[in-house]
Amino acid sequence: MDKFWVVAKREYLERVRSRWFIMMTLFIPVFITAAFLVPVWVTARSAPGASLRNILILDATGTGLGQRVADVLMRDTVATPNAATLPSPQVRDVAPARLAAAEDSATHEVMKPNAIVGYLVLDDSTLSARRVRYLGRNASSIVDTEKLRAAVRQAFTGVMLQREGVKPETIALISNLSLDMPSTRIDERGKGSSGQAAVFLGIGIGVLLLMSIIFHGQYVLRGVLEEKQTRVAEVVISSIKPEMLLAGKVAGAGAVGLTQQLLWIGISAWLMTNFAPLVLKSAGSPVTAQNATSLSSSLGGLTPALFAVVLLYFLLGFVFYASLLAAAGSMVNNEQDAQQAAMPVMYLLIGAWLFVNSVIVNPGGRIATVLSWLPFSSPIIMPMRVGLSSVGWPSIVGSLAVCALGCVCAVWLAARIYRVGMLMYGKKPSFTEVAKWVKYA
Amino acid sequence: MNANELAIDIRGVSKKYEEHVAVRDLSLQVPRGAVYGLLGPNGAGKTTTIRMLLDIIAPDGGSITIFGRPNQETELLNRVGYLPEERGLYRKMQVRRILRFLAELKGLDAADADKRINEWLERFSLTTKERDWGNAKIDELSRGMQQKVQFIATLVHDPDLVILDEPFSGLDPINAQALKDAVVELKRRGKTVVFSTHVMENAERMCDSVCIIARGEKVLDGQVSDVRQSSGRRNVALTLVPGASGNGRPSDNGIGHVLGDPRLVRRFDDNNRYFEVELAAGADAQELLRRLIEAGAQIERFELVLPSLHQIFIERVGAQGVETGMSGHG
Repeated sequence: MDKFWVVAKREYLERVRSRWFIMMTLFIPVFITAAFLVPVWVTARSAPGASLRNILILDATGTGLGQRVADVLMRDTVATPNAATLPSPQVRDVAPARLAAAEDSATHEVMKPNAIVGYLVLDDSTLSARRVRYLGRNASSIVDTEKLRAAVRQAFTGVMLQREGVKPETIALISNLSLDMPSTRIDERGKGSSGQAAVFLGIGIGVLLLMSIIFHGQYVLRGVLEEKQTRVAEVVISSIKPEMLLAGKVAGAGAVGLTQQLLWIGISAWLMTNFAPLVLKSAGSPVTAQNATSLSSSLGGLTPALFAVVLLYFLLGFVFYASLLAAAGSMVNNEQDAQQAAMPVMYLLIGAWLFVNSVIVNPGGRIATVLSWLPFSSPIIMPMRVGLSSVGWPSIVGSLAVCALGCVCAVWLAARIYRVGMLMYGKKPSFTEVAKWVKYA
Repeated sequence: MNANELAIDIRGVSKKYEEHVAVRDLSLQVPRGAVYGLLGPNGAGKTTTIRMLLDIIAPDGGSITIFGRPNQETELLNRVGYLPEERGLYRKMQVRRILRFLAELKGLDAADADKRINEWLERFSLTTKERDWGNAKIDELSRGMQQKVQFIATLVHDPDLVILDEPFSGLDPINAQALKDAVVELKRRGKTVVFSTHVMENAERMCDSVCIIARGEKVLDGQVSDVRQSSGRRNVALTLVPGASGNGRPSDNGIGHVLGDPRLVRRFDDNNRYFEVELAAGADAQELLRRLIEAGAQIERFELVLPSLHQIFIERVGAQGVETGMSGHG
């Protein structure tokens, strides 16, 4: 057992000291933070609807509909950064007969640089046939046209209500009614965090586990190959049983993976808390409440129990895949053959990942349930399911047990291949030969 | 021989690979404190024997004990130092760290290991005033230096049994000398050294006992002096005075017919600087000397010698030949 620790320690220290590890450990959190904050910043800078403040409304209805539309647009864009510096929509009341001439001149205005973005035409047909026309540079922007459509609809409702004799105060109240609809997940334990946050968390866990297993599993593969290529393996195996060497390597590399993930989470959290306010402030956005809550609640969903489940599945999944990859590395003599030998193992992993979409859509469905019991897919699928929905403890414990059993089989198989493979040089073995190794080792 | 006096006791060990038998019913005993040579052509089964000895591969049958205990015991392997034929170290690792790693694998604690590593590095001039190679990565070292590091790795835990597989292959003369010195010193300190080689001169110079194997089977074994004596042959080392008679070649100077006489000489071997002449059965060395002088040879050296291991090896193994296509696992 002492020797196991010696091997694990070497694997860990040599890897953690490497330049590549330090770079990846720092780069990924910066990347993740940027991936979160840049879109927030961009969105805040160019808030949708801001350009609608710079339009002309030609109102030929004589009902004050144009002014109402302008009011709604003003109210909608209050939260936009630099709202104070934006112009207000211009409203021109026009006689129906002179509408054509007014449109003509408006068109010329839009064509001029640094002028209005577009113009909205409200006329008799608006009231009778609910037809509105908008012409402008931003006519192809779905966000802008949708916002405009909503604003006109709201203003139109006001006019209609006024015609029906509803009191102006009541109309104002109805117009200003803003709807807030946070979605909250409910499961057997009661109310949980927001539904969106759960998806966030579930996908995050899945990606993190997949990436770690691939990265660090590949490292084990290359490490085994290096030992074989440099022939250091024979010296090492003369001091320690191959099974113990394999176990030590996998444990050491797993610890590296764990360290890296904890550092990733820690550094990302630090960067978020320190840079998010700065970025939002520089974008001039007073409120990004939505972003802030979805972030914090997605982290809030990471309860200690879920954390423990993720950790256990990572360890089991890592042992499963890393030992098989080590066996693949021990079978061959060069990098190219190693990638080929690793293919069947990688297919298992990628295969599990292909079903992730259906798991997200329906975490309690049959595919998700089956995959969370199979040892090769459960380390990724089950933590996702736990993050996305509620899974009973008996299922989790059962799946963990099956996965552990799968690990025992994988390690047994890998150790037998490894024991023979490490001292085999020459041509790449066929599958029949490897099967013989397993039989006779 | 008492089992307690044996460093290694291999009894009836066999190892079969799919296509061929690598080792067949091999038994050999290595006394404690001996320098023991495992001799044989390439593919004879030397490396397979050594790997079985170290429990790297399991024999199909037979028993192996080291210092009287079964060789599967991990504690036992801590007392063994091994230098494989194919050498290599982690390329990106610092010399001190790799040595500490290998020492710890042999059960040394880190502090003790560090102390010994520094002593060895100094002894092999890997730490000098100009440069401490102990902090360099293996990659940065010359081939000769890497050999030294590998050798330190074999000996750093002060093993009681040292096993060297083809230790001289690829060594430059300076490292080869250092290796010889080290083997002599190990013997002086009561350690047992086993090395395999197909270079008979090394074995003859250094070994107390040898075992010659070919095609996986033992051909002969015993103390070097016994092996040479028991061959039942008598040899004469003959050197002619250079320039005095032709250019020293028998055919040129009229002694060819003497050396070609089958009643006197079974065969002779031109070693360039001297002839190794094997006397025919029943022939008298004095008769040969008299005939050579009669033939007008001017003799510088005429010495009765035992046959060299090389000759014995060629004679005994040559008869069996070297099985083709068995290279790779010596």
